[in-house]
Amino acid sequence: MFKVLLCWKYLRTRFLALACIVSVMLGVATLIVVNSVMGGFSTKLKERLHGLLSDIVLEAYDYDGFTDVEGKLARINADPFLKQEIVAMTPTLEIFAMLQFNFRDAPFTRPVRLIGIEPEGRKAVGGFAEHLVNPLNRKRPSFEMTEEAKERFLIKRAARGVDFPGPKAFVNPNEPPPPDPPPSRPHDPQGIILGYAIGHFRDRNAPAEVVNKDVRTLEPGDEVIITTVSGARLAPVYDRFIVTDYFKSEMSEYDSNYVFLPLEHLQKLRTMEDRVTSIQIRLRDFDQAPKVVEKLKAMFADAPLEVQTWEQKQGAILAAIRVEKGILNVLLFLIIAVAGFGILAIFSMIVVEKTRDIGILKALGASNRAILAIFLGYGLLLGLVGAGFGTLMGLELTWHLNDIEKFISKITGQDIFPRDVYYFDKIPTDIQPMGVLLVNLGSIGIAVLFSLLPALRAAMLHPVRALRFE
Amino acid sequence: MVGQELMRAGNLHKTYRKNAVCTPVLLGVDFEVNQGEFLSIVGPSGCGKSTLIHLLGTLDKPDQGEVYFRNQRIDNLPSSQRDHLRNREFGFIFQFYHLLPELTTLENVLMPLMIRHSTLGWLTARWRAIKKAKDLLGKVGLGHRMNHLPKELSGGELQRTAIARALIGDPALLFADEPTGNLDESTGNGIFDTLRGLNQIDGVTIIMVTHNLDIASTTHRTIRLAAGQVESAEPAPARVHPWVFDPRNEGPLRQTGG
Repeated sequence: MFKVLLCWKYLRTRFLALACIVSVMLGVATLIVVNSVMGGFSTKLKERLHGLLSDIVLEAYDYDGFTDVEGKLARINADPFLKQEIVAMTPTLEIFAMLQFNFRDAPFTRPVRLIGIEPEGRKAVGGFAEHLVNPLNRKRPSFEMTEEAKERFLIKRAARGVDFPGPKAFVNPNEPPPPDPPPSRPHDPQGIILGYAIGHFRDRNAPAEVVNKDVRTLEPGDEVIITTVSGARLAPVYDRFIVTDYFKSEMSEYDSNYVFLPLEHLQKLRTMEDRVTSIQIRLRDFDQAPKVVEKLKAMFADAPLEVQTWEQKQGAILAAIRVEKGILNVLLFLIIAVAGFGILAIFSMIVVEKTRDIGILKALGASNRAILAIFLGYGLLLGLVGAGFGTLMGLELTWHLNDIEKFISKITGQDIFPRDVYYFDKIPTDIQPMGVLLVNLGSIGIAVLFSLLPALRAAMLHPVRALRFE
Repeated sequence: MVGQELMRAGNLHKTYRKNAVCTPVLLGVDFEVNQGEFLSIVGPSGCGKSTLIHLLGTLDKPDQGEVYFRNQRIDNLPSSQRDHLRNREFGFIFQFYHLLPELTTLENVLMPLMIRHSTLGWLTARWRAIKKAKDLLGKVGLGHRMNHLPKELSGGELQRTAIARALIGDPALLFADEPTGNLDESTGNGIFDTLRGLNQIDGVTIIMVTHNLDIASTTHRTIRLAAGQVESAEPAPARVHPWVFDPRNEGPLRQTGG
């Protein structure tokens, strides 16, 4: 009992102990905040990746794709297990391309990824309709122009007199001539849905009071030219398109690359008949994904197709997040280790200061083990109090992180969290209770571990020398 | 009444060593104390009085020689048994009081019993212990100072707290190392009267180191140490006339019977 009493009295009366508590507290708070932010980014990234990608992708190894889509879908539907587990499937055709447009009378060229889809099918698989900017398209995705877009398109065409001038034909005498261009008769260009970051850029020099700093480079109704390659021959082909909507997933990699257009149109442009490059599959329960993948692999073992879950497809980035989080945790635990050395130093001083008291306790019959327990208990108490306050501080900081970020940005005039990098409106946080518990246990363990040496020294003190200590 | 032999030491040697320098302090001290005896040890500074107390109280080990308590050798006991002896059989009073500064007077007095009991045992023994501590503090005249910290007490009060602490465990033997050495004459006399009362009324055996020859002369027996050896000692009396101690007026002392 006297051990508890003395620990408590030492905690309340030793000013130096406050330094130990503060160092543990800061370490724990930092770890909780950083882990929560890392966890938030990681969770948000995973959510978005999963939101954008279908659960399972059945895809060809090359850009030429595969044929007999209907037959493959029928084969999958014929399997009772797969029919039960699969909620939706849709074919997709993906290919790299170049996108050209005029902005402020200057020509711009951007590399993009063309994705030919069936809008309703893609909506059913997920990761598409909910990211469209036009609310009408979110309910029923289509490539139709709105009335405003149509008006703009017609005004611009009338003003130019002629269609948007396309690139000059590339003629190389050593190469066979390119395939015939699409029909030359005047026609309304096909509508496309453009990645948000292709049609916008962020004005970093905009005044602070401007809320929306995004500047549009392409309005709905503007024309663009997309150049890609045909199917088997990989010869250049191009066509004019018209922007109808934007795809805003808040993932810059997707928003700055993806261009959606009707599957049928892309197949025609690339002269691919009914070939597609992948079938996107949505499952009823993602936990069943490994079984479904196995089944699909066995079903299409003879075809040159790859079957992967979205996690396998994004394996590298998910592994990178895990490694990054692990390394950061090791580095941050060094902060608590530094706090541990602080405890070691301060405890050593306290043991020196308490030498005579240790002698008194030994004279009254306290054993070496009891003295050891007092100082280890003291370390434990400092760790508990420090970790407790650190947890409170860490949770409070995490909960109010965005307010703090705004406040610091306002004071320093520096944008601490550049929203255009991630397109996140807020700093995402995710507090993992198990993580908080581990941080607490780790820091309390370090506090006890670093108090062990001074505690041993105290326990080993000779009673007479301790009593005579001045 | 002085009874049978309680403690005996034979041929005690102790040398302090620091680097290559050896300082011999005790060079063969023989010594015994009987139950109920009040023994004083006198001698010049550095003659080894405190060292002798430390060896007898198992706070230190002799280089040579033996210490017996109730006919059982105690100088070579393992550490845990020596702790047990100090907690249950011995009480210590030091010149500089040695109270724990963070604890109140009451908590300081309770400390030996808190050390003695486990946490669970303390929960059951707590109220009885507190009552005993309060009684003891009342007996030494500190009933009104129980919740004061040592820094709020005078020298005499501090020493009386230390006496209460030494007595709470009902020790068989009380070691007092210059208990009046840090106090003025009047306060020192008060402390000595308290000790004498404990010896005479409660029968506590006391070994006291002192520089005050007047005080030493009023104890049952005096041992004079010089140059690490017993220079002169009266033989242990077969029977000592009891002192009558009147706590109401704390003296004068008078010897009765004969």
